[in-house]
Amino acid sequence: MKINKYNIVFIRHKGFVILVLLLLITALSAWTTIRDAIETGPYQLVYPANFGNRINVPDDNPTTKQGVYLGRLLFYEKKLSANNTLSCASCHQQDKAFTDGKALSEGVDQVLTARNSMSLANLLWTRKFFWDGRAGSLEDQAITPMINPHEMGQSLDVSVKKLSNTATYPALFKLVYGNETITGDRICKAISQFERTLISCNSRYDQYLKNAYLPTRQELNGMNLFMNGPNPEKGIRGANCAHCHGGPKTYNELFHNNGLDSIPKDVGIESLTGLAADRGRFKVPTLRNIALTSPYMHDGRFKTLEEVVDHYSDHLKESEALSTFLRGESNDIGGKTLHLRPDEKKDIIAFLNMLTDSTFINDPRFSDPNKTIALKKSKSNSK
Amino acid sequence: MKKYTFIIIALFAFFINAYLTKAQPTTKDASVKVTGEVTLPLDLKLADLQQFKQTEVTRKDRDGKDHTYSGVILSEILQKAGVTLGKDLRGENLTKFVQVTASDGYQVVFALAELDKDFTDRMIILADKVDGKPLLPADGPFRIIVQDEKKPARCIKQVSGIKVQFAK
Repeated sequence: MKINKYNIVFIRHKGFVILVLLLLITALSAWTTIRDAIETGPYQLVYPANFGNRINVPDDNPTTKQGVYLGRLLFYEKKLSANNTLSCASCHQQDKAFTDGKALSEGVDQVLTARNSMSLANLLWTRKFFWDGRAGSLEDQAITPMINPHEMGQSLDVSVKKLSNTATYPALFKLVYGNETITGDRICKAISQFERTLISCNSRYDQYLKNAYLPTRQELNGMNLFMNGPNPEKGIRGANCAHCHGGPKTYNELFHNNGLDSIPKDVGIESLTGLAADRGRFKVPTLRNIALTSPYMHDGRFKTLEEVVDHYSDHLKESEALSTFLRGESNDIGGKTLHLRPDEKKDIIAFLNMLTDSTFINDPRFSDPNKTIALKKSKSNSK
Repeated sequence: MKKYTFIIIALFAFFINAYLTKAQPTTKDASVKVTGEVTLPLDLKLADLQQFKQTEVTRKDRDGKDHTYSGVILSEILQKAGVTLGKDLRGENLTKFVQVTASDGYQVVFALAELDKDFTDRMIILADKVDGKPLLPADGPFRIIVQDEKKPARCIKQVSGIKVQFAK
């Protein structure tokens, strides 16, 4: 058999050549898989009619399928943190309705954040972000935790460099923005697009509003107490929660001093406005998935919903800035506090548990895409 | 010697000044910003409100009792800001509305025509006093009072902004 020099080279380096070929094939198939899997075009934001259409999508960042795809990857991307250990999802975990179960969260420098990680749901309708409402859009909000030294602690310039040096991101940015240039602005925009898709609308309360769920007696009692203001003269018992937490979304974008302290350590919005009336004033957060987002309040001081309801019922602290809507509300004639009975508190908590949306926390569209890909691979291997 | 005394006094004054500046409360005065479809944007503090004609409106509050509120008719403030009222409130200007925002984020709207005295005698005022006293901090310093409206929901408290807009 005639052996020419090419064959000798091939035989000598057979292993190497096969390896190179294999790598080429893998890279090619990975490339085509990504290209094939990504749908493009406008993203349909689907939500119930009773949520209303007062949504907040900036004109310069329309929601697209490819943008949401990229945003989801970035939301779970640890390269966006100084030591590659944290992503947005570290403090916003899907199984905890995008909170982290901690009073305050540890950043890349092991320093705790100043305030409790907020739950993410129905941000499409939110116009003011953070506990003090200081950001007017998700795009403005998203940058802060990324560059804060006590959170992800990395400048956008460094993030841009790190992402530019990856195999996948430049092509994805091209798919979303028309060219491969990665910028801090584009990172924030894509993350915001993904966050706008985090729509929670299938709790038992949503189903009840659609006449598709019959609440238990306890849940109904709790719902009535939640919705009604107390009127002891007329024999109406209530907790008046809906005054600030009402509506199908259980979110009204309000900011109040809710009587946590007479002299607050964290003055809240006052630090932005310098107004005494804003002292200890914070966002009234959404109650959606509230049973999953312990601990509660801007500083995570309450571990359980029982403690929260006890606070509103019996322990409001007086101060000049205390919300006018928390004053003089009582179930006793001439009373100073709500003074709910123990069974009524349990009923309210039963209703609050109706706000848990298990579809939302298990929705594969919102989960860690790296895990999904790993899962798919292991599934196809086992076949 | 004289020179040293001067330096010492100057240094002393410097530190005292720094101390006093720091010791002063950082709190600012609340104001109401009038913006949007106006020719002259306004930023009204309590003292500015006294420059207008004062009007009283009596209505029930949540306590079910009558209270006398005093302040300024809202349309007079808007007129000062150059909003299209009176003979100018016709045609497309009838699609204008006034969005009132409170510092707690609560918002309500009035159609511009609801505020014009050629359309209605019902008074809507920006009040700063109740029963002769300043409003409580949790209610004021500015509150909209709508005469005769059955529910008090549009008697918005802690008013911080008034924006005139066209309906789209």
